Amino acid sequence: MAEQLVLTEREALDIIAFLVASAEISTYEPTYYGSFRLVDAASRLMAHMQKHDLPLTGEFIAELKAHIDEKKTMMMFDRPAWVEFLKGNPALVASELKRVAEVEE
Amino acid sequence: MSAPAIDADSLLAFMKKRRVCRSFTDAPVDDDLLWKIAQAGRWATSAGNRHLHKFVIVRDPAKIKLIRAMSPGMLTEPPVLIVIATDEERAASEQVQIELDDSTWIDVGTAAMNMSLMASAIGLGSCPVTSFSQSGVSEVLGFPQSLKPEYILILGWPKPVERFASSTAPKAITARDLTFWETPGNHER
Repeated sequence: MAEQLVLTEREALDIIAFLVASAEISTYEPTYYGSFRLVDAASRLMAHMQKHDLPLTGEFIAELKAHIDEKKTMMMFDRPAWVEFLKGNPALVASELKRVAEVEE
Repeated sequence: MSAPAIDADSLLAFMKKRRVCRSFTDAPVDDDLLWKIAQAGRWATSAGNRHLHKFVIVRDPAKIKLIRAMSPGMLTEPPVLIVIATDEERAASEQVQIELDDSTWIDVGTAAMNMSLMASAIGLGSCPVTSFSQSGVSEVLGFPQSLKPEYILILGWPKPVERFASSTAPKAITARDLTFWETPGNHER
């Protein structure tokens, strides 16, 4: 993968803030909120990445972020559909990882 | 009987139409409108007429960005927000035992609901945020130890969004589902 930065220090700190705040509130929020926080963290990370040049994964990141943002609030009104949505995401990322690995070989 | 101050059916229809809004335009919100919303918070019911809460209006985009970083429940960056905070110094002076007295929380809710309704009446979108780090938000806003952030209402001019339709979502809860007449479990009048 190209050796270039896709986050500034400030952007990374922003994600760290989100993660540590999520860890704190996860001690009392319903357990299923944890999955929501992780997916939302991925979305926030991608939002920062998109401010930078992403020659290898830009298209995928844009698609995944749009997919997550469209469906992430489902957790609040359709729990079974939310779980299905969660189950589908790793395969999407795995497929992109495979593609990137092939490009890099 | 005195004449009603507002048509009840219109008010109910208005309440039914209100929804949380998580997508805002960049347009600023006029201070006069924010002042109306703050006044709506003031005129909410308050246990014992104690008014233990303060409303902190934040318009500075830099501060809002930092607050959002400490607020996992804030899914978008709004143009303005209002933090409802408990003034623990005032609570102590009123001899309120914060840890034991739930009315403090209830008063946060009544103020927040009044504010949301006023925002809707103005045409603004609003969304409550309760998932945030109290210590983080206090630090960002320079709150004294005695001021405890409890609730954040994000506000802005709504941006139209397509709502994601779920075919498997459970049936919406109705007022009937929530209401019992005389006896728990009895939904019939």
